[in-house]
Amino acid sequence: MTVPSLLPKYPRRRHGPQGRLDLSDAWHGQSYYGQPALKNPQWDWKVSGYIAVAGAAGAAQALSFLGSLRDREVFRGARRNANLIGLAGAAAGSALLIADLKTPKRFYNMLRILRPTSPMSLGTYILGAFGVTTAVSALGDLAPMRRRPALRRVADVAQAGAALSGAGAATYTAALMSATSNPYWAAAPRGLGAQFATSAVAAGAAALALGERAGGRSGSARRLEDVAACAAASHVVASLAASAGRRASGVGPGPGEGGQPSGSTKAVVMGALPLAAYAMGRASRSPPLAVSASLALIAGSFLLRHHMLEQGKRAARRPATGFRFAQPHNLPRRRRLDRSG
Amino acid sequence: MSFDLPHEARKTAGTEIEPGRAYGFFTDTSVCIGCKACEVACKEWNQLPAEEDGLSGLSYDNTVDLSATTWRHVAFIEQMDHRPDGETPEFQSRWLMSSDVCKHCDPAPCLEACPTGAIFRTEFDTVVVQQDICNGCGYCVPACPFGVVDLDDVDGKAHKCTMCYDRLKGGMAPACSKVCPTDSIQFGPLDELIPRAEDRVAELHERGTTDAYLYGAPGHPGATGGIEKLNAFFLLLDRPEVYNFPAAPTRPANRIAPALGTGLAAFAGLALVAATLLGPRR
Repeated sequence: MTVPSLLPKYPRRRHGPQGRLDLSDAWHGQSYYGQPALKNPQWDWKVSGYIAVAGAAGAAQALSFLGSLRDREVFRGARRNANLIGLAGAAAGSALLIADLKTPKRFYNMLRILRPTSPMSLGTYILGAFGVTTAVSALGDLAPMRRRPALRRVADVAQAGAALSGAGAATYTAALMSATSNPYWAAAPRGLGAQFATSAVAAGAAALALGERAGGRSGSARRLEDVAACAAASHVVASLAASAGRRASGVGPGPGEGGQPSGSTKAVVMGALPLAAYAMGRASRSPPLAVSASLALIAGSFLLRHHMLEQGKRAARRPATGFRFAQPHNLPRRRRLDRSG
Repeated sequence: MSFDLPHEARKTAGTEIEPGRAYGFFTDTSVCIGCKACEVACKEWNQLPAEEDGLSGLSYDNTVDLSATTWRHVAFIEQMDHRPDGETPEFQSRWLMSSDVCKHCDPAPCLEACPTGAIFRTEFDTVVVQQDICNGCGYCVPACPFGVVDLDDVDGKAHKCTMCYDRLKGGMAPACSKVCPTDSIQFGPLDELIPRAEDRVAELHERGTTDAYLYGAPGHPGATGGIEKLNAFFLLLDRPEVYNFPAAPTRPANRIAPALGTGLAAFAGLALVAATLLGPRR
């Protein structure tokens, strides 16, 4: 008896009158009656809303910390606002996340373990650290606290912690979506990380700039608007890179699935419109234009997260998208070999 | 006569069930006759409610997919163009039938995603959701590369095949494998199942069924991208996608580092820019 090779092999599918056709590595669109091979989470606007809120609040804390380091006097007001944005973000974000659970009364089970392979678990602790440090930092803004230098120093240290955990809160959500089997979220982890980080910084800077405009502090507002514009510009680049990554993995609109503006088109518009408004506002020295650009950036950061969520859910409902992504040529090791060879 | 049979699986599956050993399913689809006894036995033993009935129009498959309350699903694939000459004689289409189930992956993406520890690996190397801990966050659902685990709308928890954890603890083979009339579903320790499955592929190749191959056994399609093995693995006769399986699934947790790393790097880059722009200007 001969023992055949046990190496992984695909079946030879006999096909057509010409005889045998070896399809060892090619998928020709087969599916099981077009049924989805993947399941979607029940996540809705509450999750995408949380991702945007956590991003903006985290970035606002980080930016106000940097601003205070560079120019404490000018950013005194921005720092207070960042503490308030951070508090509101941590509270609203936690509320949104708990409301999204299907058994919300067991929300505390999130604290049973810390699992490094689960961004959802990591995020629980990142959000917790952000909430605690932000609260301590905000206490330092109260008048009786400000009079005591020791307490002020504690508040400063807490804000440094809020800036660090804020960076985590703004970016871990990209890992949360990428570390799934959803083809749209999984196809470009690096691109998604850059998209979420740049969009969070843009929204956080825009939110702080709005506060400065409202408080009549146009000097700090202009500096923050410059940061927002830089972040918006990098966001456009990140979105283009992410789209290219998805297309390279075969996760683009397939035949008969187009008709809608692509994800990259929308993301570019979301970043480019406020960018143009900032530029025009700068050139014509018109605060209303800058304010509308900031508002547009914040709205855009919410739309981006919701768009990501919905695109992913749509992609999972199309078996072709998941199957195109889950082909051997997309496996990490093979890819690296392809590149080096 | 005593009804107490501590090692029933010895008689029904030819194996003893002892903690610390890895167990699994070998689903040999080449002998599946589509009787759906596995679906029924699973629902009966696990007391899973019926789902909305109706005719799907998809061959004889009115179950359609796995769900929170359906843990075995028999797929029916009718093929008209499978013959070498491309001609199909009348009444001679090919039927592929396959009983799908949770793959009890190793490592298991659902388990790695679960933030509460509700999903755990048992002493039999299977993957189970603890119903008294799950809080319905739903992260395991998109994590699964095979679309298996799902949330139930009624109780708000995640559910999937437990490989009859309670039966295993009592020395009994899982209900679906015990009831399978053709031994298409075989239960046993993986160190016995895998060689048996490889022999079966060899035997089929010798008999001219050269389409047969294993899906999910270590080193075979389905056990790819950081997923080392599927404890429930299959013998298939056509491409994986035909059975609604991904050809090359990947371990989602491998994408945490690139996503988080690039995100933090982009954030840090913009923070550097901000540190410059936010400073005093002349």
